[in-house]
Amino acid sequence: MSQPVAAVRAPRPDAAGAVIRVGEVRKAYGAVQAVDGVSFEVAPGEIFGLLGPNGAGKTTTMEMIEGLHQPDAGTIEVLGLDVRRNASQIKHRIGVQLQTAALYPQLTVEELLRLFGSFYGRQRPVDQVLEDLELGEKRTAQTKTLSGGQRQRLSVALALVNDPEVVFLDEPTTGLDPAARQGLWQVVRRMQGEGRTILMTTHYMEEAEALCDRLAIMDHGRILEIGTVDDLIGRRFQERGVRFLRRDAPPEDQLRGLAGVTRLVAEDDEVVLFTRDVPATVGALLELTTRAGTEPADLMIRRASLEDVFLDLTGRALRD
Amino acid sequence: MPGLIALTAANLRSFTRDRAALFWTFAFPVIFVVLFGTIFAGGSSAYSLGWVDEDGTPPAAMLREAFVANAPVELTDGTLEESRERMSTGDLDAILVIPQGLAAAIEAAQGGGGEGPVTVTIITDPSRSGTSQAVQQIATGLVMAANLQLSGATPILTVDLETLQTSRLNSVSFFVPSILAMALMQLGIFAAIPLVEQREKLILKRLNATPLPRWTLVGSNVIVRLLIAAAQTAIIVGIGVVALGVEIVGNWVLIAGFVVLGALSFTAIGYVIASFARTEEAANGMTQIVQLPLMFLSGIFFPLEVMPEWLRGVATFLPLTYLGDALRQTMVGGTPFAPLGVDALVLAGWLVVTLGISARFFRWQ
Repeated sequence: MSQPVAAVRAPRPDAAGAVIRVGEVRKAYGAVQAVDGVSFEVAPGEIFGLLGPNGAGKTTTMEMIEGLHQPDAGTIEVLGLDVRRNASQIKHRIGVQLQTAALYPQLTVEELLRLFGSFYGRQRPVDQVLEDLELGEKRTAQTKTLSGGQRQRLSVALALVNDPEVVFLDEPTTGLDPAARQGLWQVVRRMQGEGRTILMTTHYMEEAEALCDRLAIMDHGRILEIGTVDDLIGRRFQERGVRFLRRDAPPEDQLRGLAGVTRLVAEDDEVVLFTRDVPATVGALLELTTRAGTEPADLMIRRASLEDVFLDLTGRALRD
Repeated sequence: MPGLIALTAANLRSFTRDRAALFWTFAFPVIFVVLFGTIFAGGSSAYSLGWVDEDGTPPAAMLREAFVANAPVELTDGTLEESRERMSTGDLDAILVIPQGLAAAIEAAQGGGGEGPVTVTIITDPSRSGTSQAVQQIATGLVMAANLQLSGATPILTVDLETLQTSRLNSVSFFVPSILAMALMQLGIFAAIPLVEQREKLILKRLNATPLPRWTLVGSNVIVRLLIAAAQTAIIVGIGVVALGVEIVGNWVLIAGFVVLGALSFTAIGYVIASFARTEEAANGMTQIVQLPLMFLSGIFFPLEVMPEWLRGVATFLPLTYLGDALRQTMVGGTPFAPLGVDALVLAGWLVVTLGISARFFRWQ
């Protein structure tokens, strides 16, 4: 992870050049409508994220694109090919990392990479894949002996053995410590630098903000909004957020009336006041609390985040 | 094709690195063979008799030699008390007592006089009726023969005792093909467990995300099972031939054919289990439920002839009955339960039906 590749913020795709094209896709499991009319397009070289809580339909959507499930309705094209009719052809050109790392426990890292490589017409040298994912020193270790982070990296490595044009990553950093997560982000950026298109799911806001050129926010099987991080935030929040703990805070109706406040969002234990005039709002807030003999706990001023966007869209916090 | 080879190699590697799988596949049937071999070929083949010579003359010694030369006995000399002691601890099967005055009586009889026969006493254990009867027959026969010879009559009829195989060898010969059949049954049925495990751990799903065709997956699985079946057959038959003296009388091509057909049929049954078991634990339980009745009702441990009528009725439906029967017939010339053609047809029938069921119900994820 020596030289970080500067993420190129890719433009929105034009209709003709899209690498992935999903149109009005639906999928039900029994009575549960897992995916309920999802449409989006991913441009060449883009890192596109599906962001949402567990059960939002992200994984099902992604696995239908990978050809693992048949949609009940709708169209899916990958690299200009229809997934229903050209599944095998598409599978040669994509790399897939599944949410739960699927491994043969008794095989070594190198054996597993060679095994998967043998399934494809086109292969990347195993040494190169090992080096990319920093698994070189583990090449002769049986996979059952790997740590969670190593396993996750191997799972990503398996998605790269065929030098794929499109890479699918399903919650690639779940369960990793912050350092390992940063390391994997570098790997994903490098993939992009090599010209690959990446579709990933995540329920980590900071991951989506750090990695994804564009995002689709999903909940209950639907896409609520699509755009770049800046788009998504800017579309709803020109303001900044003044955030503090709800404990000892003045009543909400008083807070709403403070100078500059455009809206108030209350979460479990926090209150966020959105304002176009931070000094005026903070001044008024302090005046109010001083009169009450308290002070705002953990006071913080910040730009609105994807978290705020999700909260605004769904009325719920996105937490894992 | 490179995918098939690589996947087969990977499955074999995984298998050989899995100690538990290795034990159940190879050590377990070997233990069975050795166990049954020891039980049925156990100890020396002769009856051990106590020889109590109260006469101590050359004619008594000659009688002893005649016994050793002509009967399957091992004689241990001793006094009556010593011999009784040994018999009570189980070292002796019976005791023969040669009374004092044997030589004198023979001499008297040959001289034309004599006061009637001398009595040779056989002491047997009534709780072991089979052994007692055999010893009685042997001793009586030999005493009669001695009588004839001593009285100077020329024997007109003699009996030459010959059997095709001794009864003990028959038991081992029965068990070696039976245990091979059992091992093939387990090998096939247990195919369910790695398959369910691979589905549960999403390995099947991950493979499905590659361009590898599904038939390759199934094909590699079957190839691995057949290779293991071949290794099992070699080991079990090898031990039977080398260590237990079982003679393979049949046609090797026919034997190999039935080994393959049996392995395939039971692997297909394993796939049926994998089609209905959602978890590895469920698969484990289901394999036991399937294998136990097969093991005990298919004439593997008890010959079908000794089973009650209604159990034989059950056995006529079980595939293992026919695999065991076919292997016994082709390997050691066992008594047919059904003609070989019927054995083959029944196994093939099971194969077709169970393959159909798995094709219909098997889930990849």
